[in-house]
Parts: sequence; C-alpha cells; structure tokens
Amino acid sequence: MLLVPIFLPIVCGVILLSSKRLKETSASKILTFASAAVSVISVFIICAAGGELKIWDITENVSIALRADGLSRVFSALTSVIWLIVGVYAFNYMSDDRAKNRFFGFYLISLGVLIGLDYSANAVTMYLFYELVTLASLPLVLHTLSKEAVSAAVKYLLYSVFGAFAGLFGIICLSNYSPSLDFKLGGSIDISAIAENRQLVLAAVFIMLLGFGVKAGLFPLQGWLPTAHPVAPAPASAVLSGIIAKAGVFASIRTIYYLVGTDFLKGTWVQETYLSLALFTVLLGSVMAYWEDNFKKRLAYSTVSQISYILFGIGLFNETAFTGGILHVVFHAVIKCALFMTAGAIIKQTGYTKVSQLRGIGKRMPVAMWCYTICSLALIGIPPTSGFVSKWYLCTGALSAESVGIIKYIGPVVLIVSALLTAGYLLPITTRGFFPGEGFEAGEKCEPSATTLVPMLILAAASVYFGVFQSGLISVITNIFSGAL
Amino acid sequence: MILALLIILPAVLALTCYIIGQRSVALRKLIYNFTLFAELALSVVLLIDVLSNGKAEVFLPKICSMGVGFEADGFRAIYVLIAAFMWAMTGLFSNEYFDGHHNLNRYFMFNLFTLSATAGLFLSSDLFTALIFLELLSFTSYVWVVQEESNEALNAGDTYLAVSVIGGMVSLLGLFLLYTQLGTLKIAELSSAAASYGGSKASLLVSGILTAVGFFAKAGVYPLHIWLPKAHPVAPAPASALLSGILTKAGVFGTAVLTAQIFVGDKKWGYVILTLGVITMVLGALLALISVDLKRTLACSSMSQIGFITVGIAMTALLDADNTLAARGVSLHMVNHSLIKLVLFMIAGVVFMNLHKLNLNDIRGAGKKNPLLMICFLIGGLSISGVPFFSGYLSKTLIHESIVEYYAMNPSLAIKAAEWLFIISGGLTFAYMTKLFVCLFIENGEGVKPVSLNKLSKFAIGISSAVLFALGIFPNFFADGIADRMQGFFSAYAENVTVDCFSFENLRGALISLVIGALAYMFAVRKILMKTSSRGTEYVDYTSKCFDLDTMLYRPLINIIVGIIGMALNLANSLVDTVSALVRMSALKSLPLSSPKKHSKFSQWRKSMSKENMILSSSLSYGLVACGFGIILMLIFLLARA
Repeated sequence: MLLVPIFLPIVCGVILLSSKRLKETSASKILTFASAAVSVISVFIICAAGGELKIWDITENVSIALRADGLSRVFSALTSVIWLIVGVYAFNYMSDDRAKNRFFGFYLISLGVLIGLDYSANAVTMYLFYELVTLASLPLVLHTLSKEAVSAAVKYLLYSVFGAFAGLFGIICLSNYSPSLDFKLGGSIDISAIAENRQLVLAAVFIMLLGFGVKAGLFPLQGWLPTAHPVAPAPASAVLSGIIAKAGVFASIRTIYYLVGTDFLKGTWVQETYLSLALFTVLLGSVMAYWEDNFKKRLAYSTVSQISYILFGIGLFNETAFTGGILHVVFHAVIKCALFMTAGAIIKQTGYTKVSQLRGIGKRMPVAMWCYTICSLALIGIPPTSGFVSKWYLCTGALSAESVGIIKYIGPVVLIVSALLTAGYLLPITTRGFFPGEGFEAGEKCEPSATTLVPMLILAAASVYFGVFQSGLISVITNIFSGAL
Repeated sequence: MILALLIILPAVLALTCYIIGQRSVALRKLIYNFTLFAELALSVVLLIDVLSNGKAEVFLPKICSMGVGFEADGFRAIYVLIAAFMWAMTGLFSNEYFDGHHNLNRYFMFNLFTLSATAGLFLSSDLFTALIFLELLSFTSYVWVVQEESNEALNAGDTYLAVSVIGGMVSLLGLFLLYTQLGTLKIAELSSAAASYGGSKASLLVSGILTAVGFFAKAGVYPLHIWLPKAHPVAPAPASALLSGILTKAGVFGTAVLTAQIFVGDKKWGYVILTLGVITMVLGALLALISVDLKRTLACSSMSQIGFITVGIAMTALLDADNTLAARGVSLHMVNHSLIKLVLFMIAGVVFMNLHKLNLNDIRGAGKKNPLLMICFLIGGLSISGVPFFSGYLSKTLIHESIVEYYAMNPSLAIKAAEWLFIISGGLTFAYMTKLFVCLFIENGEGVKPVSLNKLSKFAIGISSAVLFALGIFPNFFADGIADRMQGFFSAYAENVTVDCFSFENLRGALISLVIGALAYMFAVRKILMKTSSRGTEYVDYTSKCFDLDTMLYRPLINIIVGIIGMALNLANSLVDTVSALVRMSALKSLPLSSPKKHSKFSQWRKSMSKENMILSSSLSYGLVACGFGIILMLIFLLARA
C-alpha cells in the first residue's frame, strides 16, 4: 500500500514524459488528475491504517525502508492534497504551453518522490528521496528554458546538492552512534557512546541542520529561493514554496526529533545558533520582500521569512512551539500556494510581473484579489485567520521555552516585527488594487476562468477555516509530539 | 443565544446586503435598515435580560484554538445598546446622505460587518476574543475611510490601516506576555491572577502597556492619534459619526479592562495613563481650536474628549479603593461623547451633503434658516462643553471631582497641573464649539445657500439630540441609572455614591472652565485665528503649518529604519550569492549556452533543435553525478565499517 502513492505518480509521470501520443490531447490532463487523485486517496487510507515496508537491505543494518508514522501522515496528506489542487490550477495556466507534458510529467514524479521522502523510515532512505526531490523538481524551475531559468535552476541545483551533502555528512557521522539510523521519537543515537566526542557530534548535527536548511531557505543559504521562484511557472513556484521547501523542514524535524533527540541538543550552542539563524532569516526575508518590486520575488522572500518561523518553532523543543511550527507548515503551504496562484493568474491575464504595475488590479480581477487579500491577512496573522493561530502557538511556545536565554523574548518580538513587515509588503497590493485613487482608469475586467479560480477559492477558504476550527489538527500534532501517533 | 445573535445577525445580513444590492437597490436599503433595527431591538432585549437576570455568558471552546467567550453585564449591555442606537440613527441618515454615491453595496456590507465586530468586541469576555474583534474592526472600518476613493481618503486610509495593524500586533505581543505571566486571558479571572502573580510588577506593567497599545491606537490616544484628524474628514459623515462615537470607545473598552482588572492601585500605570490622557486632551483641544475644517474640528474634539475619558480611567487606577466617582464619570462621559458626536457629525453631514464643502470659510451661515439644526447643534455643543443642565456637565464634573479627590489624598504639583489642564481643556472645548456655532448659525457667508434635509434625517438627528438632552436635564433619573449599571466595569470596589451635582463647589469648576473658554474665544479665535482682509474676516488655516507627526516623523522614520536594515541585510543576502558564484565558476564549467561561433547551417539547426534537451540533460546529469558521488561515498564508508 505504501508504494502506491509513491510509484503511481512516478510511473504516470514517466509515461507522460516518454509517450508522444499523449500530446495535444486531454489525456495528459486526465492522467495527471487521476494519478494525483489516486495518490490523495491512498495517502488518506495510509493515514488511517498506517504501514511499514522494508524494500532493500543495503548492509545488515542499513536498509531502504518505508514507514508511515504521525509526522509522515501529516506531511504526506498535505503534500498530496496541495498537489492535486495546484495541479488543477496548472491545467489552465499551462494550457498554451508547448511543453506541458514535460511539466506535468516532472510534476507527478516530484509528487511521488516527495511522498517517498515523507514515508522514509530511516536517514539513508530519507537522503535518497531528498536528492531525488531536487532532481525531480529541477525541470519545473527549468521549464521555460530561458537563460534566467537555466541559471536559476543551476543555482537551485548547486544549493540543494550542497545542502544534501552536508546532510549526508551528518548522517555518516551519526551512523557511528546509531547503526540502523532508524527514526525514533526522542532520538535513535546512543548518547552514552558519544561522551568524549560530544562537540564533534554537535558540529556534525549543526552542519546537517544547515544542510537541510538550504531547502528551507535558512540563512546563509537562502539565495536559491528568490532566484528560482520568479522564473518558474506559477504552479511550480506554488509547490516549490508551499511544499518542496518544506522538505527541508521535514528533514530537519526528522534530524532533531527522531535521529538526534531533543535531550541531546537542548541548551547547546547548536540550538542557540540555530534559533538565532532562524530569527535572522525571518527578518531578512521580510525586509528583502518589503523592498522587492517583482511580485513573485517578493512572495519568494516572504517564503524565506515564513519558513524560518517554522524552523524557529521546531528549534525550541517544546510542545507548544512544535505545534505552532507544524501548524505553520500546513497553513503556510495553503496560503503561499494561493498567493502564488494569484500572482500567476495576474501574469497570465495581464502580463504584469511588478508590484508597481498592480494599481487598480482589484477592479479588474475582483475575485482573484479577494482570495489574495484573505490569504495575505492570514499570512500576516490577523485573527481569526489561520496564520494567527500558528503565530499564537509559536510565540507562547517561545515565551515558555526553557534554556534558550534571551531568545525567548527576542523571538516573539522578531516575529511581530516581521508580521508588520508582512503587512507592509502584502497589503499595499490589496489597498492600491481595490482603491487606485482619483483619475485612474482601470482596464477591462479580466477575471480568470473557473478552473483557475476554484483552486484559489478553496485554498483561501481553507486559510480562514483553519483559523477558526483547528482543534483536530492540533490534537494530531500533540499526539505526534508525545509519540502517540 | 441573544449574545450570539447580536454578533452573527449583522455579519450574515451584510453578505446578503451585498449580494441583493447587485440586483435591487430598494431591497438592499430595506434589508440594511431591517438589520439595524433588529439589532437595536435585540440589544434592548439583552439589556432588559441583563437587568432582570444578571449576567449572560457564552463560551465556544476550541474556536480559534483558545476558544472565544462572550458575556453581558451592565456596561456591555448598555454599550451594545448605544452602538445599535448609533447605527440605527446613522442608518436612517444614510438614506439621504448617500443619495447618488457610488460603491454603496461595498459600503453597506462593511458597515454591517463592523457592527458585528463592534458588538463582538464589547461583548467579549476575554482579551483574546477582544483582540480578534479589534482586528476585524480595524479592517472592516478601513473601507469606510477609503470609501470616497479620493487621494486624501487613500492617504488617510493608509495611515489608519498602518496605525491599526501596528497597534494590533503590539497588542498581540502584549497578550503573549500576559498569557504566559498570568496563565489566563479571561477578564473575570485577570484580577485574581494578577494578585497572585509571583513575578515582578514591572514585567506585568510592560506587558500591560504593550497590550494597551492596540487599544490606544483605536481610541486615538497620543501619540497614536494621527489617524483621527485625517480619517474623519474624508470618511462619509455617517461613518465619521460611528468612527468617532463608537469605534474610539472600543479602544477605551480595552484600556478600561486592563486598568480595572490588573492595574487598580498601580501608581506607575496610573501615571502613564494620566500623562497620555492629559497630552491627548490638551493637544486635541488645541488642534480643534486652530482647525478650519468642520469635520476635522470635530475629529480633534473627539481626540480631546478621549483624553478626558483616559484621564478618568487613570484616576480609577490611582484612586484604588475610592475610585467610584471616577468610574461613574468615565462611564457617563463615554455615553455622552458617543451621543454628542452622533449628533454633531450628522449635522456636519447635512452641511456637506448640501454644500459639498467643509472649510469653515465656505460654509458660514449654512444652518441659519434651520432652527431644528440649530437647536440640535446647540444641545450637542453645550453638552460637550460641560455647561450645567447639559449632559457633559455631570460627567466632566465627576472626573474633575476625582482629580480633586486624589489631590487631597496625595498633594503633588503634577496632579494640580493635571487638574488645571483639565479645566483649561474644558474651556477650549467651549471655545471651539462656540467658533463652530458662530460660523454655522450666526455669521453671514457669501453665496452660501441654506441647507435642507428630509424628514427621515430630521427624525434621526432630532431623536439623537432628544436623548442627549434628556440625559442632561434629568441627571438623577437617567444619568445615575446608567452610571449605577456601568461603574462596576471600571471599578473593582464599586459602591453607590450620589453627588450633589449642582453644589456650589461643582458649579464653580464648570464656570471657571466656561470663563476660560469665553476668553479663549474672544482673544485667541477672534484675534489670532481670524484675519480681516479685503474679503472680510476669514478663518486662517494654521494646521498646514503645524508639525504633522504622521508625514513628518513616522513615515520617514519607518522608511529610514527599514531602509538601513534593508541595506545591511541586502549585504548579507548577496554575500552568500557571491560565494556561490565563485563555487559555480570553479565547480561547474559554464553550460553550453553561449551561441556557437562557427558552425555550418545544418549543425546550427541541429543545435537549436537539441538545445532544450541538452540543457536539461546536462544539468540533470550533473545532478545525477553529484547524487551518485554521494551514494558512492556512503557505500565506501559503510563497507569500510563492515
């Protein structure tokens, strides 16, 4: 069962890539939709049933194995649902693209690989899928094949491969203390064996976290995000930012909570530096977004900032902050996908890519801009939207955190300042979009088609719905933290 | 049940209003007015219910993660009633005012959303719920400010939104701290939690002040008052009346909750609030005095009156167990100010509706032939100036009494100064109201045609003034009744105190104030603020020469700070990219992107055909090599270990 959501999309993706006959027919759409939908269904079956599977023993200890535990269920469910919704959006967006089969092919392969990443049961399997995520998503960035796209893709590749190697280095170092490298809540390494090599192991863990932080856009290796997003097609930027960047978060959670264990890291320089880096990135992303004029680049910088909220949350090692972090994983995925969809819809309908061109856009695309407005309010964290809830958990978690010193107070302040900057870079688009001012002639209405709008509306509604009703999600996360799931 | 209905009904009908409004304007008007009067009826029912059965409570657990709670006590029920009344009156007035305006569906939808949020805020039983509705309130009322879509309106809207968002976020930060310190945000549990709080008083004070910032912003307390004088003049008059009369009170509500539940008897808190209150009071009065725009004058007057109320709240904190007088004063002044501004802004609306001008020089004598308007304006003006037998007199006297009371307990120069500034500000109130009255109803303007209004608008303004008048003329019946129900909200030790409001002592304070006001009008307004030129006397606009905090300090400051941080972070951002560029140059030979130099046509054609695939495959292959390299390394390591 575990193999279905992984290999079905990959196989379908390969068929799309290799088959010449599928071109110019709606068969490709049907195939994409069907396999994504089947993945969603099977992921949900797995969410209910769980499962475990060993594929291949590399050595007597190390194996390629899959397991669906609590964390993988949340991430895989999120991934598959978002993938389906963005996929529907992409049908219209990519409709007049010559190479749309290539896009959808790699789009599906990325889905399979990401779900594989979520289900991996040990560090080696995770590393394998982690590399594959980079490779499978690379063609999405590359898609337009313009010079900028290629150089952005190369940048993305180099950053990601560097990050994965850093992760691999950590995995190899840790394998001394945990031969099987299995994921177990609370850490699978043998702390008593470390004794004299403590600093070395800490350094290895730190390098590992930095490495996985690359995908998550953690300073100092956040550079690929703002380069890759503007050149990729909008659906690709949406999933890059909403889901693929979360692969870094996922790997970091696995490292901290399931491989090394929070007891070992609590109060060490690794935790402090990691939290400081996360907070610095939060500020960096927001400020850069504030001054950025390119709409998609602004959203990309915003992603840099928002994902570091999550890293900050999981770096605090307490239940409340962890809950906030995972909530923000879900909410940010929903919100940022919708925002990139709006950006894409605007590009598709009007060709505008710069924020300064967006004056009066609300008069021309009211429904799309309403989605944008609701999602930006959610991203800022205005109650009663979803971003507010995750921020609430993150900040109260930070304030009740132990052994992090002054960061406990700096954290919430930075998050609030960043929220203000978020308001500063998102809201003017709404206010100028709907209220362009005197003497401004808005052009004709150019609302995008229903297949574009419906996915946006669903996500915008979700971003509010989760703000009001999220107790189910929270209890799931609490169970993950306590090991009950 | 009623509690929930009060909040949900306007929100649901707001959407209905918008959707129906696309089809039929008459039906929308009907639904809008129906909503307002249904809300009014509900709030009357709520008040009767609370008076006979005591508190009503609703708690919805797990909504918005913390759960939202609502309750109704005397203060809340009365204030929801006032809100519903104000909405109903402005709603009646809107029928005529908005004739021929555009984008009305939008306006009415957000108008009803704001009603829902306002009811939610006043009924909230914990600070968490209060913050949620405060934020909702800010965003829905933003649309009021920018409704006319003029450039000034957009500018004012930006200021309003920025102040609201910054205030709201700082409040949120304060709530995080309060929640971790006290472990609860339920208003009823705050005082006991604060009493048993083990940490330092100073840290509680910090979180309290941070929490209050958002409410200060909404109330228009210095230095966050900047949006008031900008937003009111540009908003439609019914919206200005609500902004000034009820939305500022939402801010007062939060400040009062914090004071009464956590900081009663806390001197530091009391002095902070007192200082801010006094500055707001004096500054607002001065700004109102020099202003030459009818609605701007009223807006600055609102700011000043909020200052009076804030001073009263500070007194409830400072007086500790003896704060009943101050609590009654604050309660009454809140009610009075809401009703006064309702009347005055509607009258300003009548002037604007007829003349489309607000500059005092252009609207002289506008109300001359309209005795009803004059009487109503007079009632409002005399009330706000604190003239005996009008409603403002009682509330101002009570707050003044409480300052005197505190001075008797704790004689210090600062309190004496505050008392005198209080009296002077009261005088200035009288001065600028006289200025407006003289301008509108006494002076003769060239080419100003007298204003007219329809019966519905007359009814709305007339009823509002009648209520206001009744409050002042029967103080023992109405005012005391209201104060008895409301004082418990502000004071932890409420007891029933009756004050002989027409004793010589109290009359003297009011008279001093009025004399100062008369002098200020005679000398400051007539001599300095009016210039005689060839075209006769004119009101001179000094406001443009004034130092404007918003455009001259806040906006540049924010830009400079964010700019400097931006430059620093940009360096950090690009530093890594430079390194990566170096890495790229050394690790990866440049891709075959550059155009081929010397090739046959055939090979060029072939090249362009395969270009896509080549780029793809070359970068893919590089990735695969890198991936394989990693796996090989891992295998070698594992084999070596085995």
